[in-house]
Amino acid sequence: MTDATQFGAEAPKPKTSILELDKRTRKRNAAETRFRYYGMAAVAVGVIFLVVLLGTIVRNGIPAFTQTYITLNVELPAAKLDKKGNRDPAEIAKVTTFGYNGIISDALVTALKDNGVQSDMKDADLRKMLSSSAAAQIRDAVLADPSIIGTTQSFRLLASSRVDGYLKGRVTRESLARDKNLDAAHLDIVDQLQKAGVVSRSFNWSFIFGADASESRPEQAGIGVSMLGSLFMMLVVLCLSLPIGVAASIYLEEFAPKNRFTDLIEVNISNLAAVPSIVFGILGLAVFIQFVHLPQSAPLVGGLVLTLMTLPTIIISTRAALKAVPPSIRDAALGVGASKMQAVFHHVLPLAMPGILTGTIIGLAQALGETAPLLLIGMIGYIASTPPDGIISGFLSPNSAMPAQIYEWAKRADPAYYERAWGGIIILLIFLMTMNIIAIILRRRFERRW
Amino acid sequence: MPASWIFLIVVVLAAIGYVLARGRALASAQGDSRHLHSLPSYYGMNAALLTAIPALILLGLWLIAQPVFVEKRAEAFIPADAYESAGQLSLMMSDVHRIAAGLDAAVAQGVLTEAAVTRLSAADDVRGQLGKVGVALGSDVDAAELEAARSFRSLSHTGDLIRDGLVVLLALAGFGWALKQTNKDFRARNAVEKVIKGLLVLAASLAILTTVGIVLSLLFNTVEFFKLYPAKDFFFGLTWSPSFGGGSELGILPLLWGTLYISLIALLVAVPLGLFAAIYLSEYASPAIRGIAKPLIEVLAGIPTIVYGLFALVTIGPLLMKAFGEQGGLGWMAGGTAVMTAGLAMGIMLIPFVSSLSDDIINAVPQSLRDGSLGLGATKSETIKQVVLPAALPGIVGAVLLAASRAIGETMIVVMGAGAAAKLSLNPFDAMTTVTAKIVSQLTGDADFASPEALVAFSLGMSLFVITLALNIFALWIVRKYREQYE
Amino acid sequence: MYDQPALEKKLDNDTIKIAASGVQVYYGEAHAIKDVNVQIQDKTVTAFIGPSGCGKSTFLRTLNRMNDTIDICRVEGKILLDGEDIYDPRVDPVQLRAKVGMVFQKPNPFPKSIYDNVAYGPRIHGLAKNKADLDEIVEKALRRGAIWNEVKDRLHAPGTGLSGGQQQRLCIARAVATEPEVLLMDEPCSALDPIATSQVEELIDELRTNYSVVIVTHSMQQAARVSQKTAFFHLGNLVEFGDTSQIFTNPKDPRTESYITGRIG
Repeated sequence: MTDATQFGAEAPKPKTSILELDKRTRKRNAAETRFRYYGMAAVAVGVIFLVVLLGTIVRNGIPAFTQTYITLNVELPAAKLDKKGNRDPAEIAKVTTFGYNGIISDALVTALKDNGVQSDMKDADLRKMLSSSAAAQIRDAVLADPSIIGTTQSFRLLASSRVDGYLKGRVTRESLARDKNLDAAHLDIVDQLQKAGVVSRSFNWSFIFGADASESRPEQAGIGVSMLGSLFMMLVVLCLSLPIGVAASIYLEEFAPKNRFTDLIEVNISNLAAVPSIVFGILGLAVFIQFVHLPQSAPLVGGLVLTLMTLPTIIISTRAALKAVPPSIRDAALGVGASKMQAVFHHVLPLAMPGILTGTIIGLAQALGETAPLLLIGMIGYIASTPPDGIISGFLSPNSAMPAQIYEWAKRADPAYYERAWGGIIILLIFLMTMNIIAIILRRRFERRW
Repeated sequence: MPASWIFLIVVVLAAIGYVLARGRALASAQGDSRHLHSLPSYYGMNAALLTAIPALILLGLWLIAQPVFVEKRAEAFIPADAYESAGQLSLMMSDVHRIAAGLDAAVAQGVLTEAAVTRLSAADDVRGQLGKVGVALGSDVDAAELEAARSFRSLSHTGDLIRDGLVVLLALAGFGWALKQTNKDFRARNAVEKVIKGLLVLAASLAILTTVGIVLSLLFNTVEFFKLYPAKDFFFGLTWSPSFGGGSELGILPLLWGTLYISLIALLVAVPLGLFAAIYLSEYASPAIRGIAKPLIEVLAGIPTIVYGLFALVTIGPLLMKAFGEQGGLGWMAGGTAVMTAGLAMGIMLIPFVSSLSDDIINAVPQSLRDGSLGLGATKSETIKQVVLPAALPGIVGAVLLAASRAIGETMIVVMGAGAAAKLSLNPFDAMTTVTAKIVSQLTGDADFASPEALVAFSLGMSLFVITLALNIFALWIVRKYREQYE
Repeated sequence: MYDQPALEKKLDNDTIKIAASGVQVYYGEAHAIKDVNVQIQDKTVTAFIGPSGCGKSTFLRTLNRMNDTIDICRVEGKILLDGEDIYDPRVDPVQLRAKVGMVFQKPNPFPKSIYDNVAYGPRIHGLAKNKADLDEIVEKALRRGAIWNEVKDRLHAPGTGLSGGQQQRLCIARAVATEPEVLLMDEPCSALDPIATSQVEELIDELRTNYSVVIVTHSMQQAARVSQKTAFFHLGNLVEFGDTSQIFTNPKDPRTESYITGRIG
């Protein structure tokens, strides 16, 4: 026990002052500072990435929320639109959109003349400033009210995506050099028409509420219909994952005996939480579409797949919420003669509810942004052009979803679609942010410390 | 009767059962609920549950089983020499479904009578007649298909009838039994609670069911694939060139290489940044800075992967092209999509994942170890490097493995940022592709699901599932071991 | 036991090692140490006793600036080590702690080998010129920690595998290896069984030949057994400070008397 004694008293060490830093300490302190800077740099880089990412999204996406329109006074000659003059809708409908092109060209020429714009461009080329949807827009108006035939009406027509891009600075004269759709001469006209107020930009409601359009008409594409698709999917996810998740958590947390079976469930849940989302897509394809023959691209299938994917997240957070309710509450209920089931459903569950809801909202937010599994169940390559006409068709008829729509746009060849994709991301992120803020508020408001 | 009607009938029966049983229980106690064993509503619940649950379970099972059974029987009518592959058979069967649906529509609209349907032969213009009711067929109907469709129809009808009868009977049986049970001494609460507990167990078992579903759907199709394409070539093939015309080479190795290469770059970005950020935030930062920076970094985790994909495609790719492509004078990079592009985007995505996991793990190192080191005159960084990190190492390794499994399973970023060509190259600026990206490309589009080119996606999925599962189990095991050490 | 303090070894040095005057410590708003003046002698064991929460551990931690690691902690007053103020802005706490070592309540060996545990301090302070030198330092420290015989055959086994008492002696050896001038011990035996406690107490008594030892303890018997000087803390005040024998046999302050007779605690 007395190893120490053999050393006896030490010869005193040379005295050093703590007020002077020795060389070694200085070196060590420099290393300390360096290390600290590495850490700061890492945090800064992370924050900078976030700022750059959000900046890119906002910078590229904001233009999608405005749209260029060309306001034209269009003469609707009866001679072309209703040759027999009997205003019979069936007869009028026989004039295809192609038949309206001439009318539009005439209106453009008039607009140029009225505003003193000189141009030697052919009529057909002039029309390229307008979206190819313009003819359909006029035709729809005529069919809706045949009495306007023979009059001159003012229409606000979509400009083509190139003209739109020019006003937003995306398209320049140089970039048009290799473009077969539009050339610099068009832009000169646009400049003058803009001064005259014929060409103008305004807020693009139809991007938020409208439907997707075909590949050649990015100016017309909107995210509204796929937003509905996402909404129906989220309804499915909410209605299935909340009750199932809560039921599973209650069993595991309150009733499950410790045995092989519950161990198996636990292992499965923690592993499912880490299975790549694409694998859930394969599951959905094989089980729901190939085996059960549910319709492809239907929000119901998407919802089912996302439910399976979100369940582990919801179960994990619900269990945490149940665990946070102190055992004394259960004991109190059992003590007055409630059954275990009554104690859980009457006392524990209501107390755990804010935590459960927070977890559910966060799970839903994850599901809302998930793309990969939707690709496999057919939610891309599909043009979500018509809104569902009822609740049932909302669940069962093919639709897209917001992230799938964004991916679809990003894939299309026309660079004008990038703008739409970024714009779609802004809307998606607004939804996600709102959901997360609600979750945070719920947590702050109802969080209880026992 | 459609299944939804049967469902409604059962629900209504259950509701009636609730009211009757509740009344009966009260009556048996002369209207004084204090003499009952349980609250009156439990007697009602018991009747409702007994009526609805067995009937609905039967209905559900029937809805799943009948189509499979009918399909098999109808398939038997198609002669074996009429098709060459399973794909062709499934095309013919979808014709059969359309014909059957058309016949249904024809009868419903009065174009054909039931008798006329049985008399119908291939020689009649079936296609034309069905066209009239709005069911367009791609080709004329041959005898075998017509026969199959007829049998499909009649089997489905009979099946539906039997189903309706059985379900309603079962509901009624439960209804009757529950009413008979009901009297004041019956332990209704215990019975109801038992059923509810059963439902809870069922909900919890869904996790097992999902895993089983994943494994089965992957396994069956993988087995199909290996019947058409040798497993050896799949696992050891060095070329990936699918062609739907036949003669595809479907080796997984180039895809695995792309996957691992991209994941490696992602980890090279995410691990140092995430780890240093976690160290700074947990050991150095003041509470104010921590309160701002930590949630900000975690926002990165909440951004959907599609956003990172688009960011890679539109921003990172062109930026890298400027630096390393033709314009930059280096000429290492041929196009915006490359291993580097996807890897960087994925790295950014993983930073918060690594940092929050490491943060937890670093915080789990007991303060007493830090005190011990500081008390000996170590600086903070010496303490972190020589005491905290070595102590946290197993946990950090686990976190990195979890991040790796994330990276390997990530889909959208690689679909958009990595390129489409499968290549075995060392140049990080080359376009390469990954397992997940190929699963997407082989299963989207109009591929025939029975061809090896589509089925290979399931084998790829299986490989992906096994790899990520193994990594996860290993990582969780390490993390758990580590946690136990300090408990 | 109270009335027979360990005074067999003559106090052979009367130099003042640490002189604290007017020390105030605040945790945020809470005033944890109130105007403490104390002088700690070299080559002496000084015991801090007092009921829980009386500030004795807090005061101990101010002596090597371990409180710096707690953000909300603020120290006022003067603490001189060999006449130099340790709270002088020029002082680097790292260099200070090399001179004023510390042993903690719970044995906290690093998750490294026994050898690396002891070599940790000498390595970071650059005390060894080469491997042989380091080996010698480690052996010497382990001998001083009275644990050499038990671990010399397994120097490369993990330190966490030792028993509680061995772990604490390893931690003492680890602290000794950096050649400190003062050794602070914060309830070093509270997590140990009686046998391990007596081993550590014996060790403390031996360490006195080289160092000034300050020990915080909960147990009055322990203070009586190992210390020559005793300070009694109560509610953040230093109530009484003097020779251990005097404190235990003839306390001047009624609060001290109450405490040692078991009326407050």
